[in-house]
Amino acid sequence: MTRYAMVMDQRRCIGCHSCTIACRTWNELPVDIVYNPVVSQGATGIWPNVHLEFQPMICMHCEHPACVPACPTGASRQDDDGIVWVEPTQCMGCKVCANACPYGARVYNEEEGFMRKCTFCKDRVRVGDQPICVQTCHQKARTFGDLDDPNSEVSQLVNQYYTERVYPELGTDPQIYYIPSRGRGRD
Amino acid sequence: MTITSLDLHAEGVTVRKTCCYFCHQNCGVLAYVKDGKVIFAEGDPTHPTNQGGLCARGNQALTFLNNPSRVNYPLKRAGEKGENKWERISWDQAFSEIAAKLNQIKEESGPEAVAAAAGTLRTDDWARRRFLNLFGTPNGFHNALLCWIPTFNIETAVSGWSPFETDLGSSKVIILWGMNPGASSMPGAHGYFDLQRTNGLKIIVVDPRYTETAAHADLWLPVRPGGDTALSLAMLNVIINEGLFDYEFVDKWCEGWDELVEHIQPYTPEWAEPMTWIEPELVRKAARMYGQNRPGNMQWAPTWDEMGRTSGAGIHARAIMRAICGNLDVPGGDGMPGPAAYITDEEMEANDYLPDDVKTKQLGSDKFKMTTWPGYGRLAEISKWRWGKAFTGEWFCEAHGPSVFKAILTGDPYQVRALFCSGTNPQSSYGDAKMVYAALRKVEFLVVCEYFITPTALQADYILPVAGAIERPVIHTNYGVTDSIVASERGIQPLYERKTDYDIWRGLGLACGQSEDMWPWETLEDAYYYMISPLNLPVSSYDEFVETYGMYYPPLQYKKHERRGYFATASGKVELKSSVMEELGLPGLPSYLPPAEDELDDPEVAKEFPIVLTTGGGFMPYHHSEHFNNPLFRYIYPDPYFTINPELAEKLKIKQGDWCWIETRRGRIKQRANVEAAVDPRVVYTQRGWWFPERDQDLTGPNPFGCLESNTNVLTSIDDEDCDPYTGCWANRGLMCKVYKCTEFDHEFTEKDTEFSIPGDDFWKLGGGVHKAPSEQKIAIDFAEPIYAQPDFEVPEGCTWDYKTRRAYDANGRYYDAGSGWMIDPETGAYYQYGTGYKYVSANGDFLLDEANGQFYDFAGQPSAGPQPTFEVPEMCVWDPITQTARHKDTGYRYDPNSGWLIDDATSVYYEKYTLRAYDPTTNLLVDMQTGKYYSMEDPTVEVTVGGEN
Repeated sequence: MTRYAMVMDQRRCIGCHSCTIACRTWNELPVDIVYNPVVSQGATGIWPNVHLEFQPMICMHCEHPACVPACPTGASRQDDDGIVWVEPTQCMGCKVCANACPYGARVYNEEEGFMRKCTFCKDRVRVGDQPICVQTCHQKARTFGDLDDPNSEVSQLVNQYYTERVYPELGTDPQIYYIPSRGRGRD
Repeated sequence: MTITSLDLHAEGVTVRKTCCYFCHQNCGVLAYVKDGKVIFAEGDPTHPTNQGGLCARGNQALTFLNNPSRVNYPLKRAGEKGENKWERISWDQAFSEIAAKLNQIKEESGPEAVAAAAGTLRTDDWARRRFLNLFGTPNGFHNALLCWIPTFNIETAVSGWSPFETDLGSSKVIILWGMNPGASSMPGAHGYFDLQRTNGLKIIVVDPRYTETAAHADLWLPVRPGGDTALSLAMLNVIINEGLFDYEFVDKWCEGWDELVEHIQPYTPEWAEPMTWIEPELVRKAARMYGQNRPGNMQWAPTWDEMGRTSGAGIHARAIMRAICGNLDVPGGDGMPGPAAYITDEEMEANDYLPDDVKTKQLGSDKFKMTTWPGYGRLAEISKWRWGKAFTGEWFCEAHGPSVFKAILTGDPYQVRALFCSGTNPQSSYGDAKMVYAALRKVEFLVVCEYFITPTALQADYILPVAGAIERPVIHTNYGVTDSIVASERGIQPLYERKTDYDIWRGLGLACGQSEDMWPWETLEDAYYYMISPLNLPVSSYDEFVETYGMYYPPLQYKKHERRGYFATASGKVELKSSVMEELGLPGLPSYLPPAEDELDDPEVAKEFPIVLTTGGGFMPYHHSEHFNNPLFRYIYPDPYFTINPELAEKLKIKQGDWCWIETRRGRIKQRANVEAAVDPRVVYTQRGWWFPERDQDLTGPNPFGCLESNTNVLTSIDDEDCDPYTGCWANRGLMCKVYKCTEFDHEFTEKDTEFSIPGDDFWKLGGGVHKAPSEQKIAIDFAEPIYAQPDFEVPEGCTWDYKTRRAYDANGRYYDAGSGWMIDPETGAYYQYGTGYKYVSANGDFLLDEANGQFYDFAGQPSAGPQPTFEVPEMCVWDPITQTARHKDTGYRYDPNSGWLIDDATSVYYEKYTLRAYDPTTNLLVDMQTGKYYSMEDPTVEVTVGGEN
């Protein structure tokens, strides 16, 4: 089986917004929809003992996504490889999924009349390319791959390093793993 | 169903190897082209710079290419200046009208009345320089003085070529001095951090801000903005006094060491503390980390060149630091690329066509000599003498931009009447923006080559549309001063009627009456193909070079000075005490000069403006004043923010997001508060570049496009005495300001806020107006009497001392070697006896040769037969003592005693000495050159038939 996941190495991320812009270009997003904002955390602390960290956000492509069962029409789906996406022809724009998602990963597009969200660039992945946010990151802060394959880079990173996930306590089993830049995870 | 409509693997999609054109890195970009349209652009995974990555700016290439507000046709002003009314005209009309005006100005006021600014590697600079040289004006300029050029020229004066190539693989330590690659050169950033984790590379960051990069440092020195020079001198003091330098290198390769040691003594870490705000122990720690971990690297960053008055001495001190720690041109150290094998930018510029008397009219060259013709001319002369090639004239030898604007406004020292701006928006990017605004409003004739209608283009008489990323081929040679090439092709021909600026300069040059012979390359590709032609690669076009090679890297050569026997300086050594600077009347050793404003030297200013201001740091995703009209960026980053420490913000009752005024002696601007502990509580940091393209509805006010209201350059100083006396770079950092919240009654940027003064520093007390003519303004130091290198030996009679090459030459152009007492021919290296002029010949004994008549003498002065053969000369040959060869009586072929054959030196063909039949290596037979008949090698008289049978 294939289980797509992504590792965000916060030791490497410098908050340059490349992924944000590349994603918008590839997915031809309207100006007010952002799939993957980069959140700056800091500088925190008291000068000069301060710390700065960036957290790239994205759809968590949860193992147990809250948005999929919430959808009344079946437009919201999860593929066998774990990718969560929306079938636009079946979406009626009721926004229930957006309310269900704890990560704010879904945005309603007024003009098109359906929900939009990150698809892990499944169109690129299907032909063997990397998701555009991964390819464009020159800090190599993002790694994408198959978590079910023990030899994949994502598996090795997740097994080798201390990682954190966003709100794992909600039972969604999010598949975006963060390697924090300071603290227990620092090598 | 997928959401995106893009299919890169569809039929008919071709991939072109273009490059990103939104900063200097020129990362590789694959452009997917279908039916002549670019459908997508992404990072090129095979490119050496970015390996597939692209930053936000690179990722918006398509938005830039197709932006509806791009200028697509030549435009001529139709309304009043600045009214934004345009008439579309043809290129022919544009060229002929502009050329007519330029020629008229040249006729009436001289060619120097035409000046030209250009942007940051958005242009083909050698082509512009070529046009300006042929036109006859020395007044081209860039914002180069804020970006590397002061550093390059000062370092070149010290060590012969600025050591800027980083070679991190075996580096033990790197200093990122005022550098934040996390926001400025992203392709490089992960390299540092990877090596830090895997190789134990130590990273020292010097930065007044806690940046993306400082967050990764092993040692971070939060220096007071503008305190960098004091810090450099103090670190140098520690390195010298604690013996952390490379003794052998200093002994063998450095000049001026003893004077330096004495000179540096007062600059202790304790002395530096008030200027740097850094504890002496931390300075020592940094000096030890740098000095003890070798090889080490020091990374240049624009900060070095942006501190105005204090810059030059700091650059010099750091150049010394690199050298004495033995890091020059060693693996893992500060690499020095040699002169390039291809045709360099300097060779394309036609600098020889600019008359010498015009060079002296270059604006600013009487004040800031290192970066104008006096300094550059001398440095280029030394480079050419030592290495055969010089570094580029464009960038490295230019007019002082602020002096050009002052000349437009005051007519002092002469009136500048026409200004070109190519891919630059001086309104945002030059110091004292209010004065620049007035100059752009006033200049008689303004031509802007641009992508968009910027605040500068708004004031133009003509706007010419320029081709940008993906529409042009790009050759990356680091401004023409490195020996490698990274090349890219265009994805498509320029859209609409846009032209590459090579085409613009060529077209304009021809329209101005310049000869077609001077512009032999019809396209940019032709010119680039010419530039790479000496590499002798098997390609028949530039595009083929891009597609088959894409780059050219000569074999890495370290320690070139050891192989050559000299550095490319006048003395051949690393000149810790610079002779070029002394020749120019500048101090030969670095002496501390304070920044333009500081609380120690200007207590009165500090009382009114108590906060230290730093400006100019880059921030993603914008670049200089670019991309503010890009909706993708503005959506995530809509407003200008200045950074203020929570402690100071609380004291000033400023909360996150508040609009505030930031004011210096020269004026005030508005930005919003970003309250975070990323700066010292005594410092604020303002963002640069801001203008508001969306405010295009009403452009009649005093501040069109909001070009002054949040523009940090309203705060910076270009006054001559605030500029670096070596190079003229102006003061962007280490200024004093005050910050206060915008109130209900004081939040509008009004007419009054646009008033300016010359000098700008007087605005605070005297208000607007020209208070002092530019030619009366002094620089920060008084020039000393020029010191020219003197001989350290007695110059013998009949010889004259030449300080430029440090040799005493006789009338024959031979120079005197004090060690041996002989004269040496600089071309051949042959020795001649002083007095007689006889050449020394060493061959089977020592002889002297009178070249005039071929007579030999022995050392006692008695005539002699000269050198005698060490082998038996065969009967058909005669011995020639002058060339010390035996030669065939009739043919003159040289006899080779080792093989016993005759050799024709012109063709290298071997001949059998009795029969004079040539050796044919393909058949291994002898051949008679007259008859074409073949003879046996064993018996040269026996004829052999060749061919017919295999």
